[in-house]
Amino acid sequence: MNQSIYLTGSGQTRFGEHWDKSLKDLMEESIDAAIESADCTALDIDMVVVANMIGEMTSDQAHLGAMAASFLPHHPPALRAEAACASGAVALHTACALLESGKAQTVLVIGVEKMTDISPSKIAAALMGAADSEKDAACGLTFPGIFGLIATRYMYEHNLSREQLNLVSARHHKNAITNPFAQFRKEIPAETISASPRVADPLCMLDCSPISDGAAAVILSTKFESPIKIAASQLATDTLSITDRPTITSFAATKDAMTSALEEADISRDDISHIELHDCFSIAALISLEDMGFANPGEGIELYEKPLSTIHYALSSINASGGLKACGHPVAATGIKQIIDVSKQMKESGNMYGLAHNFGGAAATCGIHILQQS
Amino acid sequence: MRNTPASNHRAQKNLQQKLQEGTILSYTTVHHVPEGFPNGPRVIGLLELENGTKVTGQLITHHSSLITIGMKVIPRMRLSSVNKQGLRTYDIAYEIPVQQAVKHEFPGYVLAITGPSGVGKTTVSLLLSTTVGNYVERVPILTTREPKDGDSDEYVHVSPEEFLELKNNGKLATFTNIPSRDEKRWYGYRTEDIEAIWQQKKIPVIITEMNLLQGLASHYGRRSILSLGLMPPGKSKRQMLSALLHRLRDRGRDTEQQIEDRLKNAEADLDFFKDRKELFDDLIVNDNIDTVVGHLGGLVLERVKV
Repeated sequence: MNQSIYLTGSGQTRFGEHWDKSLKDLMEESIDAAIESADCTALDIDMVVVANMIGEMTSDQAHLGAMAASFLPHHPPALRAEAACASGAVALHTACALLESGKAQTVLVIGVEKMTDISPSKIAAALMGAADSEKDAACGLTFPGIFGLIATRYMYEHNLSREQLNLVSARHHKNAITNPFAQFRKEIPAETISASPRVADPLCMLDCSPISDGAAAVILSTKFESPIKIAASQLATDTLSITDRPTITSFAATKDAMTSALEEADISRDDISHIELHDCFSIAALISLEDMGFANPGEGIELYEKPLSTIHYALSSINASGGLKACGHPVAATGIKQIIDVSKQMKESGNMYGLAHNFGGAAATCGIHILQQS
Repeated sequence: MRNTPASNHRAQKNLQQKLQEGTILSYTTVHHVPEGFPNGPRVIGLLELENGTKVTGQLITHHSSLITIGMKVIPRMRLSSVNKQGLRTYDIAYEIPVQQAVKHEFPGYVLAITGPSGVGKTTVSLLLSTTVGNYVERVPILTTREPKDGDSDEYVHVSPEEFLELKNNGKLATFTNIPSRDEKRWYGYRTEDIEAIWQQKKIPVIITEMNLLQGLASHYGRRSILSLGLMPPGKSKRQMLSALLHRLRDRGRDTEQQIEDRLKNAEADLDFFKDRKELFDDLIVNDNIDTVVGHLGGLVLERVKV
């Protein structure tokens, strides 16, 4: 980072089914919460970046930059960022670029998604927009289907059992009990996961992050200081279609983003204490931990089988918020919400570094942000 | 899913590249399909094709539990959707070949004559047994339908109970049921009849339709089947069907109602020639019975001399 970028304010709605709130209502609620928590006032915001993936399909609404700016009395310049589920990370990255360039001194970043207004088959088709519509979608594949293919292959290559995979969602659900913003604050026994209805073999309903409504907003500033600052903001991409990759059990974008993020923050992965990772499907959590270097290929499950304290890294929590599985996954809001959760965990523990890992599609875009506490 | 004439046209241009055999790298059953696809679970695979490219595609299989990574698949052109205006969209799906066909040892040749009702299968088989009768023998057809006047000696009539018992005990090489208006009729061939003909060093001649032929190919293996498709004369499907209609009426064995049913099945039989080309060694137009019999006789002699 050429400049110190501080996390000045943050706020979010509860994630879940908000039948009484529209896309606009969710956005307003998160903006109000972020401004409320910040040291600055609404008028100090120079620019707005909105992350959203499928507003046109779920709410017949595009032009979300102007929509967000209209909640601020002085209507600052605003734009929208989209990279499927990684929209949040891409919006944060855009905000960092605006701040580093000096174009703005204080930027409001909002991630918002309203998903429960349309039918499941429409949502499945809309989310499939994150994959290659000609190469992947034409045969009737869905996103759970893509991760079903990935899970089948992973289990074949690494001899992972279905019972072992159950541990991932079970841990995330347990973590969410104490998170007031989570969609499902309920402990779920491991054996219940594989007994839930099949969605895309071998993945069951409880392996998949849910359809959720929600919004999250942060205020990043070079002017208004706070104890938490952004130590690294990195993006990486991979082929859009899984058919163009040499392997589907490891994501190159995660590896690339992780390498450059550690370099930018000038730390080693042993310094990181808290991770919020992108567990859109249980199998994705294992692959992501391996790609970020916290486990050898095929051994990601060990981080769920053993207590973290017995593992040699400084790591003290993985998805302490409940992750996408238990918190809910309002697509573009997730990347922003991860930053909020990591900062909360760091404030609570006093630890110095935390990391947010957010990817889109089958990790065709990956964004990694490292937060530092002083 | 976009389903416009222009988007379909673009997609069709790439279909040829997907028309290759491949290997399964991974697979899944999608239980909730996106909008625009038929309801119900859909088995999808990630495949590596012969030329090294990878594709995702629907897997055609009756037992998704039998799929394993590394299995070979063969491409099939399939009708994927019909839009409101009647535009038919085709896509490539991949079929897991019947395992038995590969495992089987080569037991001997079976001459299978396939074709729609009225095309002349029985006549051809009868003539064959006179011209090359030393080398071929017709296999009796097992059927549950009531005997009627005009039946030749080709049928062996059994009760539905007997038929099902033979089928369940694995005594049938192939079988099918053809629903008619009033009952479900079973047809099939006994393995003991076929094997008895092999014992005499002759080639069994079997009259089939699409299901019987597929059953036969998976029972004895495709390479055991000398498979001939017999087509009615005519340049278009309409002309072919009309030729069949005249023959069925001339034969005078069926009522007008039954003829109508047979013609409906005949249409599917004609499509089958095109859709499952690989199940046929030759397609012959039956416009001159002597030519057809001569051709078949030649094929038989070629095989028995080896």
